[in-house]
Amino acid sequence: MFGTVYTGFGYWDVTAWIVFFAIAAGLTLWLRAQGREDFKEGTDQDEIYWSGNPVPEDGAEISVPASSAYWGFRKAMEPFYKVLTGMHTGIGTDIVGFYVLTVAFMAVFILL
Amino acid sequence: MNWNDHLPALLLMIPLFGAFAAPLVCLLGKTMRNVLLVGLSFVTLLVALLLWKSVLAGGIAVYVMGGESFNLTLPSGMALPIRIIMEVDAFSAFMVVCGSIASFAGALFSTNYMEKFTGLGRFVSLYFLLTLGMLGMMITGDFFNFFIFIEIASIASFGLVAFWRDRPEAIEASLKYTLVSQVGSMIFLIAAGALYGKYNALNIAAIGSLLQFGVMEKIALVFIIGTLAMKCGSFPMHMWLPDAYAEAPSGVSCLLVAVSQASLYGLMRVCFSLYGVNLGGSFIPWMIISMGLASMFFGVTMAVVQHEIKRLIGYHSVSQVGYMLLGLGVGLLVLTDAHGMAEYGFTAMKGGIFHIFNYTMYKGLLFLAAGAIYYATGKRDLNEMGGLARRMPFTTAMFVIAAAAISGLPPFNGFVSKLLIYESVFAVHPALTVVALLTSVLTLASFVKVFQTAFLGPEKSVFTGVREVPSGMLFGMGVLTLAVLGATLFPSWTLSNLVEPAAKALVDQAGYIGAVMGGGL
Repeated sequence: MFGTVYTGFGYWDVTAWIVFFAIAAGLTLWLRAQGREDFKEGTDQDEIYWSGNPVPEDGAEISVPASSAYWGFRKAMEPFYKVLTGMHTGIGTDIVGFYVLTVAFMAVFILL
Repeated sequence: MNWNDHLPALLLMIPLFGAFAAPLVCLLGKTMRNVLLVGLSFVTLLVALLLWKSVLAGGIAVYVMGGESFNLTLPSGMALPIRIIMEVDAFSAFMVVCGSIASFAGALFSTNYMEKFTGLGRFVSLYFLLTLGMLGMMITGDFFNFFIFIEIASIASFGLVAFWRDRPEAIEASLKYTLVSQVGSMIFLIAAGALYGKYNALNIAAIGSLLQFGVMEKIALVFIIGTLAMKCGSFPMHMWLPDAYAEAPSGVSCLLVAVSQASLYGLMRVCFSLYGVNLGGSFIPWMIISMGLASMFFGVTMAVVQHEIKRLIGYHSVSQVGYMLLGLGVGLLVLTDAHGMAEYGFTAMKGGIFHIFNYTMYKGLLFLAAGAIYYATGKRDLNEMGGLARRMPFTTAMFVIAAAAISGLPPFNGFVSKLLIYESVFAVHPALTVVALLTSVLTLASFVKVFQTAFLGPEKSVFTGVREVPSGMLFGMGVLTLAVLGATLFPSWTLSNLVEPAAKALVDQAGYIGAVMGGGL
């Protein structure tokens, strides 16, 4: 039932993966358990380091918004995104236009 | 009377009854409304499972409506079938199971999610009509009735997408979908009419047995493919989709995912069972493969830069449909090449069909999780979210499972179907696999962003009052989580019992035609 899935070029065995994951998780937890013995909860060791400044109480002040994620990727791909977002006008007639053009393109090429 | 014989009719009767009973039952109060919505959705799921089991055991189920006998497709003296015929092979049965699970999960979720809305009698009616349209598209053996069921599903969708009547964006999204959908439906009807005019038949099997690949048939084919590709959200005709999915109530978005798969089903049914070996050349398969590649890549690149959670998930729908088009397109490419089909074509088809199941489950779950976040916080913009994992642990856990599955992380089910696609399409050209892998990487990047910005990070003071969503919504998400985990832990069973019979049925054009026409090709 768990079984092995053969792709024709390789295989996938979920049981083997779960066994591997369990061993890796066990090893990770063991390594974690070997941590420093002089760590004490509730002392300065527990404090968040915020570049030496007091940590703001509201998480909203220190969270990174989604719009800032992957800014480098977006910057590098700016010309690509300019074209792609330019296509997505959100105008109803444009949406229908893309549909009609695609069907027309297929119709012309299938008859050639 | 053997009930098994009447399962195809029963599958449509139950949601139809629900749609007409809803306005009356809703007068009896909220509890009765929820019992009707969840109860009938569950019964529909049970009938779908029985139908699937019956088809696996007994082969293709054919059901004639309005005839002297439910299984008499060609009364004496008639060369072509004229009645409304339902034809359910293993591929149809597989689709029906996927759609019914999504419908049940969406119904469960909606019991709590829709509490803030008014006019819920209309909501329940439209929800059942949408389910009916979807299931009808999946089991009809008749071309004109396919159009009718598309229209039923479309009209119900227009109402449900615009159900949030005080949001102008919802009305706008519905209007755009109405516009493109109706133009598409007219084009589809022209194709159906052209085939009827030439072959004097509307039954798919009957037309398939007579079809010659001439100029008219070519035009009809591109009309049908264009319309159904648009309705399943293929690039570059996908632009209605993120708007509609984002604005619909989340339970409906979950069902819309399955409805889009009904259009993909129609596309594949036409290519494999109607045209099949008469498809002529490799233009259409390459067209489908190209649409798949473009949908994957452009869908995911648009998703990466979104910050409105449901729009982001909507763009991923475009991307995921690309995987299925790629897998099934490669199968179509080698349909008449026995060696290629045995070597890699059938594996690609299995990957594509397995991905239909996986996609329906985890994408439905993602929409429900996004709905749960909105229900709890009132926010849709990821920029305004953060630290929700502490307040919504169950939603977080289920979102993580769905996000890992859609990103193709092992051991989740999305990985298995993508692996089947990667390794088989590589045999056609390595570039196909490269695009698919790149899409998967960007999908992971996109969902890492969602997880990090919505669930991780420091808690925001505005969310201190946020609580986990009510049990109905958790159960709705739980149904889809179980389906994802089931396909993850038992991929071999899923492939043997759900996917392989469906793939075999899809390539068996002679079997599909023979079930109605008696003699096959």
